Amino acid sequence: MNWTLVLPELVLALAGLAALVAGVLPKRDTSFAINMGVFGAMLLAAVLVMAQPEGTAFAGQYVSDAFTRFMKLLVLAGAALGLLVAMDWNVKEGLAKFEFPLLLLFSSLGMMVMVSANDLIALYLGLELLSLSLYVIAAFNRDSERSAEAGLKYFILGSLASGLLLYGASLIYGFAGSTNFDRIADAVSATEGVPFGLVVGLVFVLAALAFKVSAVPFHMWTPDVYEGAPTPVTAFFASAPKVAAIALLTRVAAGPFGELVEQWQQVLILASLGSMILGALAAIGQKNIKRLMAYSSIGHIGYALMGLAVGSDLGIRGLLLYMAIYLFTNVGAFAVLVAMRRNGRALEGIDDLAGLGRTDPAMALAMTVFMLSMAGIPPLAGFFGKLYVFLAAVYGGYWTLAVVGVLTSAVSAYYYLRVIKVMYFDAGEALDARPTSLSVVLAGTGLFTVFFFAFPAPFLAAAQAAVAALVG
Amino acid sequence: MPDALYLSTAIGLPYLGALVTALLPANARRLESWLAGAVALLTLTMVWLCYYPTIAEGGVVRAEIAWVPQLGLNLVLRLDGLASVFAVMVAGIGLLVVLYARYYMSSDDPIPRFFAFLLAFMGSMMGLVLSGNLIQLVFFWELTSLFSFLLIGYWQHSAQARDGARMALTVTASGGLALLAGVLLLGHIVGSYDLDRVLASGDVIRAHPLYLPALVLVLLGALTKSAQFPFHFWLPHAMAAPTPVSAYLHSATLVKAGIFLMARLWPVMAGTDAWFWILGSAGMITLLLGAYVAIFQHDMKGLLAYSTISHLGLITVLLSLNSPLAMVAAIFHTMNHATFKASLFMAAGIIDHETGTRDIRRLSGLNATMPFTARLAMVAAAAMAGVPLLNGFISKEMFITETLSASTAPTLLHSLLPLGAALASIFAVAYSLRFIHGAFFGPTTGDMPHTPHEPPQWMRLPVEVLVFGCMVVGILPAATIGPFLDVAVRSVLGEATPYYSLAVWHGFNLPLVMSLIALAGGALLYRLLQRHLNAGIDGTPLLRRLDGRRLFDRVMVFLSWRFARTLERLLGTSRLQTQLRLMVCVTILAAVLALAPHDFGLGVLQLSPADPVIGLVWLAGSLCALAAAYQAKYHRLAALVLLGGAGLAVCITFVWFSAPDLAVTQLLVEVVTTVLLLLGLRWMPKRLELAGSGRLLSRLRRYRDFAIALGAGLGLTAISYATMTRVSPEGISRFFLERAYTEGGGTNVVNVILVDFRGFDTFGEITVLCIVALTVFALLRRFRPAPESIGVPDQQQGDVRNWMMVPAVTMKLLFPLIGVVAVYLLLRGHDLPGGGFAGGLMLAIAILLQYMAGGTRWVEDHLRVHPLRWMSAGLLLAGGTGLAAMAFGQPFLTSYFAYADLGWLGKLPVASALIFDIGVFALVFGATVLMLIAIAHQSVRSQRAAPTPPPAPQEER
Repeated sequence: MNWTLVLPELVLALAGLAALVAGVLPKRDTSFAINMGVFGAMLLAAVLVMAQPEGTAFAGQYVSDAFTRFMKLLVLAGAALGLLVAMDWNVKEGLAKFEFPLLLLFSSLGMMVMVSANDLIALYLGLELLSLSLYVIAAFNRDSERSAEAGLKYFILGSLASGLLLYGASLIYGFAGSTNFDRIADAVSATEGVPFGLVVGLVFVLAALAFKVSAVPFHMWTPDVYEGAPTPVTAFFASAPKVAAIALLTRVAAGPFGELVEQWQQVLILASLGSMILGALAAIGQKNIKRLMAYSSIGHIGYALMGLAVGSDLGIRGLLLYMAIYLFTNVGAFAVLVAMRRNGRALEGIDDLAGLGRTDPAMALAMTVFMLSMAGIPPLAGFFGKLYVFLAAVYGGYWTLAVVGVLTSAVSAYYYLRVIKVMYFDAGEALDARPTSLSVVLAGTGLFTVFFFAFPAPFLAAAQAAVAALVG
Repeated sequence: MPDALYLSTAIGLPYLGALVTALLPANARRLESWLAGAVALLTLTMVWLCYYPTIAEGGVVRAEIAWVPQLGLNLVLRLDGLASVFAVMVAGIGLLVVLYARYYMSSDDPIPRFFAFLLAFMGSMMGLVLSGNLIQLVFFWELTSLFSFLLIGYWQHSAQARDGARMALTVTASGGLALLAGVLLLGHIVGSYDLDRVLASGDVIRAHPLYLPALVLVLLGALTKSAQFPFHFWLPHAMAAPTPVSAYLHSATLVKAGIFLMARLWPVMAGTDAWFWILGSAGMITLLLGAYVAIFQHDMKGLLAYSTISHLGLITVLLSLNSPLAMVAAIFHTMNHATFKASLFMAAGIIDHETGTRDIRRLSGLNATMPFTARLAMVAAAAMAGVPLLNGFISKEMFITETLSASTAPTLLHSLLPLGAALASIFAVAYSLRFIHGAFFGPTTGDMPHTPHEPPQWMRLPVEVLVFGCMVVGILPAATIGPFLDVAVRSVLGEATPYYSLAVWHGFNLPLVMSLIALAGGALLYRLLQRHLNAGIDGTPLLRRLDGRRLFDRVMVFLSWRFARTLERLLGTSRLQTQLRLMVCVTILAAVLALAPHDFGLGVLQLSPADPVIGLVWLAGSLCALAAAYQAKYHRLAALVLLGGAGLAVCITFVWFSAPDLAVTQLLVEVVTTVLLLLGLRWMPKRLELAGSGRLLSRLRRYRDFAIALGAGLGLTAISYATMTRVSPEGISRFFLERAYTEGGGTNVVNVILVDFRGFDTFGEITVLCIVALTVFALLRRFRPAPESIGVPDQQQGDVRNWMMVPAVTMKLLFPLIGVVAVYLLLRGHDLPGGGFAGGLMLAIAILLQYMAGGTRWVEDHLRVHPLRWMSAGLLLAGGTGLAAMAFGQPFLTSYFAYADLGWLGKLPVASALIFDIGVFALVFGATVLMLIAIAHQSVRSQRAAPTPPPAPQEER
């Protein structure tokens, strides 16, 4: 058994256990120290991921390759940034408990297991570790009715989705005779025609994963949960777990079921079209900026899924880049949302951003960059994300997807621009001073979004290597 | 290689300049304007350096800079005749505008921002015209939209500027995205995004089935940018920008980007009916509409804006005609329009600057107070009207000639072209007259905010340069502009370049007559309209209702409110039930669709004959399940009891199919869970009866949910049926069956799997059980029951000592017996049905019965169970067994077995797995009892907490 291969996960798990002890045993409040410790553990795990050798462990259940490296780095970056964004908020809202960083840490561990899963059981293990942490963290503000409702709703719907996943997995196991992805791939290519159990099982698994990435028609929970959960939690929800779930979806679709591409392609095309259209149209009328971001994230998942639906190497590369760009832009935008606080009260309305262009020009500029990038306006990073998936769609001949994608971007540009308009053109009072941690996140993600166009090569190369590892 | 350097400098320099300017302090006005001017001049020089000698000889300058080599995306810079015409306009007029703005901008305005945006816009525009790659072109296209947005909204304090900027960005950026889609299609058709490759594949593009969608999308981009009908409305509102911006963006460069794109793609996309119809009709309507509306504008800039729209329409019509000669006229008119319109905007700006107003109704007699500016403006306006000996005349005459020659074609639009051209020319003369007459003639009034006087000499210089250009080109076209035009035309048309003559005098022919008629007609029209115009009424007669802005706003309001609201109401819901329903329904549908193509016939397996007895058991079980689901909402107790019935049916089925192990476990689990749930029921809040919920409606809702549940159940049945009637691949059951005795030392395969083969799993599971019990305990410790369930229930009111006497005594007597059976189950587990899990549950049931019979206090007075000790002992025992194996050099949890000789009692098979099983036994017992105690103590605690029982306790349902 190759223990060293799982070193990053091992480090995270041990750090989590140590932090648990450090949180429970001392009588005084250790939440800040644990925050920092968890942050450090995530960084350490990221370094270890970079140094991680390739191969499989645990009898083929765990795999490490360029794809997992790419995705794990994204996941860890998302989680670490999420933690950074949350720290100050939690203190101000009286939520600075040591459980918060721990839950983030365990969900990161779950995501890393998901990304590395090469077996249905490992997949489920990772997914549940993630989901359980998310259920709790959505309801983290226990005294808020909305937060509690968000957590409960997410839990009920999420457990239904998990049930679907398990049912599908059991069907797949029943027909393939193995839970290992490689064996399933063998079974898929060995059988004449398409065994119905595999197809139905795949449908259930896809439905559950579509729920996790909140693709249409399993998107309904997203606005409610995003709105109800505390803002930094929403920021986390919209970043790292999305990346991990997309990674899982990609691995399952392109790996063991790569030969059933006709079977899942239709489903993904419909989900992609639906998500893009709904994300563009439903966001228009929103007044709450968290709801707006929820619909926006549904739309972005639609674009990302386009890359997978195309079913080509090019498409998957586009998808990976899209997720990377989406992650950083999104965390940046949410950092602004977290900073929205006036006289100590947290704000969530789009109108509350009014006058930001005058009262806090730096943050307004950053938000403008993020909004324009999400709208896909060059030369910001978001444009390239869209460009790569659209290119893949056009090369593959799926020009309906590409054209609908472009048109929905045009529609969604409208509501992103509205945010900019409110910031610069409406009058409003100043927000409270923003904490340093948020400024750091804003500067980092903002610079990434602006200057991506100058240095896309390393990201492209990494994505290319990841695709090569995935498709082989 | 110098070409590559020149080209990249031409794009890079303005951006660099923008960056530097933005960083300069706000009061360094002079430095900033010098810097901006130097940048513009250098950029112009760069273009010039490329122009000679290559392009002047009809060549193409091309440079590639590696950008994203993996994707084959290189920065391709390409300069040919057409591009150089536009590049010179961008840089040259840019230079003049910088000079002009130096004097125009007031000292209160933040100058660094202005010049930074202006230079960045210049760079984007250069990037756009120098692009040798379509994607790159779109990239810079969107950048120009973005910077024009920033420039229009430069005066942020003015609401007009903000709205205008937003409208311009919304329209042009959306158009840009459409263009991106169109370009992606074009690239798909050609197989490359390289401009040279695209330009070489005209026939492929026109013959491709995707030609039409690509054309529509590309033209959407071009028409929005060039403010063509029906997207023209943003341009007049963009006039809220500072005048230098209007002069630069809205006459010379930005709006010409659409024209540039159409001219660029003309060789490959034009020549079809679709091209003519789309562009011809859009251009013609724009031409007439713009010219007509321009007459009635009172704002000088508004007049110029509508006149720009009209002229752009004219160029669009020329491009639509699919004739090389018209193409020549289009390029020529583009250049001419840029010169005279930019100078007119600047003149209007000077008037605004020196008098404080742009309203033609208030301006009067400026000819006397600012004579020099007035002369310049008059010449430029005459060029706009198409007066002979000025540049506008020549290109307009070419336009009329082209419409006349095109009118021989059979279609209606073709034959209407000359008429439209004539009408538009008349309107053009009328609005030009209005511009001149309204502002410069008439009595000198003191009605203006400032006393008018001539501007500084340097502010007038750009106007002078441009007007000088108008006149020189107008008088000596072939000698001045001729060579440049020729190079530009040849770069587009190549071999197909027709013979054309650039001359003022072509003889006394029909176009000349039409021009003269237009001049006369325009003057007459202006004379007739004099009274109406003097009345100073706002708005355009006949077209008052056609207000693009109002339409735009209405569409936006509709989209962002009514439509969006409706959509969210239809597609979104925050009701959990609906969300669940949707999820289940979609999954059912997906599964049905996936299953549909497969046939459900029997596989190779044969069905065994149906047995009526098990059938009846199942019928009873299903009825119980159905009834439980039905009662779940109304009568929890009944539902729970019915669920027990369904569980029993499952239990009997296990027995029937000879799975005693499963049956025993199922039975015990069933008992324990039912009892625990029953105890928990006591604390559930009362059901909320919603008053006013329509009886029929709610019943219908329930029927629908019932149907969904039935559908899901039937679907699962179908899948199970199909699965079980097919041979499944070789699983692992045979492995266990064969090795249970030889390697695990037990004949009860299930138990051997649990404690031996998959002992590690079991170890994990009991740990989880342990955690669950602790969690339940922790949660219930802080449990706050609903107020109505705190009090002592009816059944326990009064004297309860002899309550259920006979059962209580029986239960107490049964305790030792059940305990012995539990130990028996544990010990025999390795070979016969039973085992630690079943035994533990059994013992827990014994305790449960005592609690039910005697009550919490009685039991705890007589018997103290310490669940935490049991649990920890169990866990340690199980873990210790595993570690012991490691001590013997075996892997964790390896088991050892032998027969223990107990003398006359016989031989007892003993495996180390038994110790493990005892651990399981202890833990399961401890965990179950811990949960029981947690619930039981609930009533002790809360009854203590409730001081007086409520007078009329509600019946527990």
